[in-house]
Amino acid sequence: MTQTRPNRTLGPGHDEFWAGCAEGELRIQRCKACGELAWPVVAACDHCGSEDLAFEAMSGKGKIVSWCSFVQDYYRGVMPVPYDTIMVELAEGPIFMSNPDGFACDESAFEMPVEVTFIDAEDAAGAFKLPVFRKA
Amino acid sequence: MQRACVINVDEASLPKYGLRREKAKGTRMSYMDYFKVPAPLPELSRTSSIVGVGESDFHADYQAARAKEPGYEGHTSESLAVIAFDRALADSGLTRADIDGLGVNYLYGGPSAEETAAMLGLTPQHIMGPSGGICAGPIPAACHDIAAGKADTIVLIFSAATRSIGRSFGGQSVTTGGPSSYYYHHPWGWSSQAAHWALIWQHYMATYGATEADLASVAIQMRTNAMRNPNAIMQAPLTVEKYVASRYVVKPLHLFDLCLVNDGAVCLIIRKADMARDLPHVPVDVGGWGHAAVKTNKLHTLVRERLRPQFQEAGRQALEMAGIPLSEVQHFEGYDASTIHLINHVEGHGFVEPGAGLDFCKSGEMDVGGSLPVNMAGGILSGSYMHGWNHVAEIVRQLRHEAGPRQVKDVHTSMFSLAQTDQVHPLILMRGKQS
Repeated sequence: MTQTRPNRTLGPGHDEFWAGCAEGELRIQRCKACGELAWPVVAACDHCGSEDLAFEAMSGKGKIVSWCSFVQDYYRGVMPVPYDTIMVELAEGPIFMSNPDGFACDESAFEMPVEVTFIDAEDAAGAFKLPVFRKA
Repeated sequence: MQRACVINVDEASLPKYGLRREKAKGTRMSYMDYFKVPAPLPELSRTSSIVGVGESDFHADYQAARAKEPGYEGHTSESLAVIAFDRALADSGLTRADIDGLGVNYLYGGPSAEETAAMLGLTPQHIMGPSGGICAGPIPAACHDIAAGKADTIVLIFSAATRSIGRSFGGQSVTTGGPSSYYYHHPWGWSSQAAHWALIWQHYMATYGATEADLASVAIQMRTNAMRNPNAIMQAPLTVEKYVASRYVVKPLHLFDLCLVNDGAVCLIIRKADMARDLPHVPVDVGGWGHAAVKTNKLHTLVRERLRPQFQEAGRQALEMAGIPLSEVQHFEGYDASTIHLINHVEGHGFVEPGAGLDFCKSGEMDVGGSLPVNMAGGILSGSYMHGWNHVAEIVRQLRHEAGPRQVKDVHTSMFSLAQTDQVHPLILMRGKQS
């Protein structure tokens, strides 16, 4: 079932990220100068300032670092509250904020392994694939 | 309801003063990128003093705004600024003619400094550039300008009609193109400053085995402090039971874990130290300052390390500038956007070891008679959401020994620490001498 979500950020860099999701890949920018990964999307590397960045596919595996549940309706009904969010550390290093798929925050455990999956979503710009995480 | 005013920073609207151009190309900005925090040079220590302080009526205004009596119009940023300025000027014993510098900080918009000067009847020769709004950035900038001879006496005004304008603290309207402090992950529904603190608290519980009742102790201590301050917004006693029964905002954080939203203004008058010795009140010297920002891996640093590297670095700078060890700090005011964030400060600066902050609070060490009295006016959790300016105002009262029932005995050195989600900016303030 397609879920309505708050609007994505689109534009240079962001479009490539969402194109990766459409193809079932979690693609993250890597700086070609210093090798560091960057998420969220940047125009220049946070570490060295280089603008020579290229997207590459992550393994999709990671572990849960923290989590929180939204009770306050910050998005004015776009997502029914309460809903859960998880802070995932990808196997390659970057932190990725996402949602749990098939389990609730209350079932989360510190450093629990998870893996990416893509669900159908839509926002004002149309349908898209949203990366979320299930228990690995 | 249409939200009238949100943080929505784009490159074109950025002040030109002090902007680091290389950052402007990227997507992550911080308020502190808008101006340069002056270097923490020891020769600038105690060269300027705070000689006047004024606040608006936080408690009475909040009550009036909640009651919405017929005919109640509420305040604007301008009307609040006038009240705070008039009180600070009277407090200082100076006259308008003594004021030769002005810096204005209307967090969500307001008149220019020139327009404000006209409104207040001032004719300053020196007008400070945009300085970030939140404390403590403008104070070092004022000290720097005074040392550089640009002015002898600078009025700093902070004013924000935060509640009246319906400022939103999360949601789609808050841009992802803004400062890194405000980067939100919208398609996953992750936004708001509260969510940062919630992630920290969940991680803290997992790391140290703490419970919600442990964190309640921080909210209760701030409320206890506020109840000794008649101008604090919250005056009703808080208990563990009331805390645990309160609604979640972003679970695991309860309503009482998050700061207030209210209107108000604070005015500080800063004067060249050698001209500050013969005024009605004991001068409060600006002893030192520091600044450290997260440059990479923000969420990792914030949640896993709780900004400890930044607290340590910025604190070291401020203490070295002031020429004192941390052990000389007798009173601490920390930016308590959330209960757990106040613990980040106390642990991060090294007053206690990581993981020991909640026991420290529970055992009363942060109370007025404890080993490190913290946020004596109730902070922004129970006092007033003045973005750090109210913490500095309280330090002025404490160091003058005018804080009444919440006075820290014989205090001569206080530390204020501002920390957002991506930076730390402390100040050391010291009781000066009258001639």
